[in-house]
Amino acid sequence: MSFEPDLRVEIAGIRFPTPLIAASGTFGYGTEYLDVADYRAIGGIVVKGLYMEPREGCAPPRIWETPSGMLNAIGLQEIGVERFVSDKMPRLRELGVNILVNICGSTIEEYGDLARILDDVEGVCGIELNISCPNVHEGGILFGCDPDMAARVTERVRQNTRLPVIPKLTPIVTDITDIARKVEAAGADALSLINTIPAMAIDVETRKPRLANVVGGLSGPAIRPIAIRLVYQAAQAVDVPIIGIGGISGHEDALEFFLAGASAVQIGTMSFVDPSVWRKTLDGLEDYCRRHRVDRLSALKGSLVADVKAVPTGW
Amino acid sequence: MKRDERAVLFEREVLSPDACLLHFRSESLFRSFLPGQFTMVRLPETSGLLLRRPYSFCDVRAEHSSFSLLVKEVGEGTRALARLAIGTSVDCLGPLGSSFRPPPNDRTPLIVAGGVGIAPFLAFCRMLARRGQRAIVLLGGRTSADLYLRGEFLSLGMDVRSATEDGSFGHEGLVTDVLAEVLNGKTSFELYSCGPTPMLVRVARMARERGLPHQVSLERRMGCGMGCCLGCVVFVHSTNEYVRCCTEGPVYDADEVAWERDPYPL
Repeated sequence: MSFEPDLRVEIAGIRFPTPLIAASGTFGYGTEYLDVADYRAIGGIVVKGLYMEPREGCAPPRIWETPSGMLNAIGLQEIGVERFVSDKMPRLRELGVNILVNICGSTIEEYGDLARILDDVEGVCGIELNISCPNVHEGGILFGCDPDMAARVTERVRQNTRLPVIPKLTPIVTDITDIARKVEAAGADALSLINTIPAMAIDVETRKPRLANVVGGLSGPAIRPIAIRLVYQAAQAVDVPIIGIGGISGHEDALEFFLAGASAVQIGTMSFVDPSVWRKTLDGLEDYCRRHRVDRLSALKGSLVADVKAVPTGW
Repeated sequence: MKRDERAVLFEREVLSPDACLLHFRSESLFRSFLPGQFTMVRLPETSGLLLRRPYSFCDVRAEHSSFSLLVKEVGEGTRALARLAIGTSVDCLGPLGSSFRPPPNDRTPLIVAGGVGIAPFLAFCRMLARRGQRAIVLLGGRTSADLYLRGEFLSLGMDVRSATEDGSFGHEGLVTDVLAEVLNGKTSFELYSCGPTPMLVRVARMARERGLPHQVSLERRMGCGMGCCLGCVVFVHSTNEYVRCCTEGPVYDADEVAWERDPYPL
């Protein structure tokens, strides 16, 4: 009889049919990739960062390619919660995929108010707290850099919703374990990490920044080793599940995150590059699990062999 | 329907020292696109580049089951694509974006193209020729080497006029000088333009002054081409917001575009 690994995962009570989740800001409002991506391979979609009111976002140019990475300063251009609920949720519900909503506020109260509104919206199965966007001038990363502020945001949202609350952390902290512990204590049901890394590029001919916002957030394979380290450290510090994010382009990248301690992963930039990344990554994970006789993905978590010297292999 | 399809480079036509027309064979992309639409090309991994790059579909050769992209080397991505070895296959996502609407029969299509901005108009003129419409095509460039595909437009029966800044071919000066001359006639025109932003702004102003409809194709850096990353936005008047060039564009009514908020050329 063939060996069939179980790749379903459960995080904070949300049952994901696959461990692959579309990262906020990279999958629109869920329907844009219907023609070209295999949605059966997608366990969930985190929709774009949402404020109470619509936002214009940053001036263009907004993106630039860097070595193995993408620099962006979109600045959370979005439609506001009212239009999201009336215009976008009906179609999102039809997809049959878990929908998580990434929320952002200018104040702690705004995070709380958004959570209260979303609590009653059919089809929303979790809230990701954006306390880590580097491209907005209030809220965002300013809350995420300060562990106490991050905890206060988490606590307020926790009080206002029955939905699972998942703070998305920034890598720009002195000690990831400190902030991870504090948001866990404040009621976080899981953690997403990492968000993009504040970064910059300059056109040397014109001597101007490549982005109108001057600085942006770096994503893509360039940031993966940083994300792996942070997931690894955070996983040592907290009991809640971790969703790993950062430059995943296939099953081996995803496996690094699982071995570092993640329970699921989000894919962002690479779905721009390759819409088939979902199916290829899922198939790759299944094949890996068969070869290694891993019956369920959760068995990989924490199975990192860290007590021996790293063995040099082909590279 | 959008597809992500493998296309094989089978011919490179050198157009100038830094521009070429690449002919790709593919199963279905060549059949379904509308003039003005584009494809996101995945660069070979050996290029070391990550993001796809957008290119207008330039032409179709049905007998070869092929489509063509006009590529001018202006950066790492364009260089990597222009120098692909014959026989290399790349992934092309498309067809994407909005397309040019042909003019009503009582209007003459008047195309203004600057340099590589001519790319989307060859397929468009082929469509016009099939409809029995003859466009006036104004080509502009710094030198004669920048007047790409002039022969192809002539062979389609189009009325082609040229301008070069160095006077090496056609009118010495800007293509918009030629446009001003043409517009001084009494014919009813529908304008189409693609090229450097300063040229587009001048064309837009001239069209508006005369109350002529004007469709413009804009070029932007794009991360996904699918409407998700919001990296390619253009500010528009009607809704007073940024809209996506990959989805709501790249072809816009020129009056819609808030040129004063446009930071390009790239």
